[in-house]
Amino acid sequence: MFVTDIRKEFYDVVVNQRVALFVSPDIDALCACKVLQSLFHCDQVQYTLVPVAGWQDLGTAFMEHKEQYQYFVLINCGANVDLLETLQPEEDSVFFICDTHRPVDVVNVYNDTQIKLLIKQDDDLGVPSYDDIFRDDEEDEEGDGNDSGNESDGSAEPSGKRRRYDEDALERRIERQRARREWEARRREILFDYEQYEFHGTSAALVMFELAWVMSKDTKDMLWWSVIGVTDQWVHDKIPHMKYVTDIATLQRHVSRHNHRNEDEENSLSIDCMRITFEYDLRLVLYQHWSLYESICNSSYTSCSFKLWSINGQKKLQEFLADMGLPLKQVRQKFNCMDMTIKENLREVIEESANKFSMKDIRVQTFAVNFGFKNRFLASDVVHAAAALLENVEKDETSADNFIKALDCLSRSNLERLHLGIDLAKKKLKAIQQTVASCICTNLILSQGPFLYCHLLEGTPDVKLFSKPLALTLLCKYLLKAFVCSTRNRRCKILPLIMAAPLDVEKGTVIVLGIPPESETSDKKNFFGRAFEKAAESTSSRTLHDHFDTSVIELKMEDRGKFLDALITLLS
Amino acid sequence: MFCEKSVELIRELHRMGDGQLPAFNEDGIRQVLEEMKALYEQNQTDVNEAKTEGKSELIPSIKFRHSCLLRNQRCIAAYLYDRLLRIRALRWEYGSVLPTTIRFHMCAEEMEWFNQYKKSLATYMRSIGGEEGLDITQDMKPPKSLYIEVRCLKDHGEFEIDDGTVILLKKNSQHFLPRWKCEQLIRQGVLEHVIS
Repeated sequence: MFVTDIRKEFYDVVVNQRVALFVSPDIDALCACKVLQSLFHCDQVQYTLVPVAGWQDLGTAFMEHKEQYQYFVLINCGANVDLLETLQPEEDSVFFICDTHRPVDVVNVYNDTQIKLLIKQDDDLGVPSYDDIFRDDEEDEEGDGNDSGNESDGSAEPSGKRRRYDEDALERRIERQRARREWEARRREILFDYEQYEFHGTSAALVMFELAWVMSKDTKDMLWWSVIGVTDQWVHDKIPHMKYVTDIATLQRHVSRHNHRNEDEENSLSIDCMRITFEYDLRLVLYQHWSLYESICNSSYTSCSFKLWSINGQKKLQEFLADMGLPLKQVRQKFNCMDMTIKENLREVIEESANKFSMKDIRVQTFAVNFGFKNRFLASDVVHAAAALLENVEKDETSADNFIKALDCLSRSNLERLHLGIDLAKKKLKAIQQTVASCICTNLILSQGPFLYCHLLEGTPDVKLFSKPLALTLLCKYLLKAFVCSTRNRRCKILPLIMAAPLDVEKGTVIVLGIPPESETSDKKNFFGRAFEKAAESTSSRTLHDHFDTSVIELKMEDRGKFLDALITLLS
Repeated sequence: MFCEKSVELIRELHRMGDGQLPAFNEDGIRQVLEEMKALYEQNQTDVNEAKTEGKSELIPSIKFRHSCLLRNQRCIAAYLYDRLLRIRALRWEYGSVLPTTIRFHMCAEEMEWFNQYKKSLATYMRSIGGEEGLDITQDMKPPKSLYIEVRCLKDHGEFEIDDGTVILLKKNSQHFLPRWKCEQLIRQGVLEHVIS
């Protein structure tokens, strides 16, 4: 059931208990986890934090901890599947689920005792009403029993009356059965509509921050983490732009509340204090930690607008830089070392020139944090750094190790880790850019009818990076945008994209991911989750639906052909 | 050259810095004691000779051997004493049960000394702090908070805390636990204190 007063029904319940936290590996979950951890530290709630990478991990972790804990908090996992069925818990276990995955499973919504959803109800959920899905089956049986009872009673009576009773009873039964079949058909339809599209709701970090705010225990650190959580949803394209703007507006109110202290000439805050500022900043990824030129080349927005994989595109870029009057030598320098005169009005200059080159949205609303003289980070910088750390394939470390490293980099005291993350993110972005360029130039994207399909071969450089879902998602979105910009086929521009990349060479598995079509006003609803399930069932391919995002699956290489064929028939 | 073996013993201890206890060098001690015995016997005969026959040219060699004996004695005493100091520090670090690897490094007499030390420390701790006594081996530095956040570095299995509840310590899980329960495990390297 949905929790209406998050403080009374969640926090006050767990504050005197020991809690187990299961956190899924995405940046929004990490941020929500950090906020919740600070609240728990404040109130000395004993907890255990376990990172879970998928449904199997969640099951194992639950098995291990179910004897010792009664209260479980699940962050960004567990809402879109019947949890009680999957985990089979005891009667007294209580689950608090703070998850952005929608649609929320109907069993989770209508369970009153064991499942509490920490989700805002105005979040556009569209849950079917109770009577449409659940129905007391006892009425039917009673009705039948009565009928047969009547029949046996009726046998004592004269035969004329009995015949009438029989006919009535039979009619009633037929009527009931017909109504029941209708109801079931309607129920199937309602559930199908409800569960067809997968999308994301309000950031978990924002929900946790609002809990902290309601208790007046919010700090700037928590606010910054919730900013990162919302920005993560935008960077990885999980929410539509309108929702992002609305969430930013909410956060902006909190930021101004935290910033308005008695600050003037005499009482100014020390430069070492943390300051969060609202910025209408450039959409160039990591530009303040890189050179401007590299950032323009590796940001999907600019790269796709200029079509930087072609020679014409490179020329256009040079024109763009010339139009702004920025010398190449300056632009290729590290951003911090650029001339001050250039840096002063950079944003306005770039915006003006970008408008001429039909890039209307080069600037986006976001936040930046400042502490000390050297440290200035935009929210998207931190998101990219943390995502790169979370999916680091350079050393052979387990996903739990990477989770811990990424969690650490979010604290202000671990700046070297954050810088390491930024370096890894730069490598990842360059790899994405090169892969996209090669895919477009070698026409690796094929139209299969109802969708586009691209398969990364094993020998592709940096293909190991793309065996992880977040990195593959970024590649997918970038590739689709680039394809839409470069193709002339009008029909292909509105098709969704499915991408496959090698996951484990020894086991012969690939990771398959589907994203919705590219459009300006898309609501980011993804139907591939259900489509993959149905296709796998119908061809009995060996798939593993382990990720919390249902649109990401693992598949055996040999079954790839028949799986794709099934998908084509399903979706056309 | 005389006294080299005993200086070797000292060097061995010096090499293992940081309070680590190397294995008890039975052989080394025995060799030094034999050397001392040989020197002593030579000195005895020389002294008798010098006394009876009045050979005063033996006196410098007697003096030399005597100073070698004193040096050996000093070295062995220093070796044994330093080991005892290290063993004493182990009680404060590891608690009353030592890991088996360390126990193998101690000789029987050192074990005996350790047990006696444990007993006298326990008696002292029982005598202060009211009825239940006070465990002064905890909280060696003034604690900043009642509960600390720890991260598990290796799989340690189940761990019981004061109110009977059991926690599963698995690699890479993080826990928020009372400080006094974690200190032991932090010292053993199973848990790591996370400062954020």
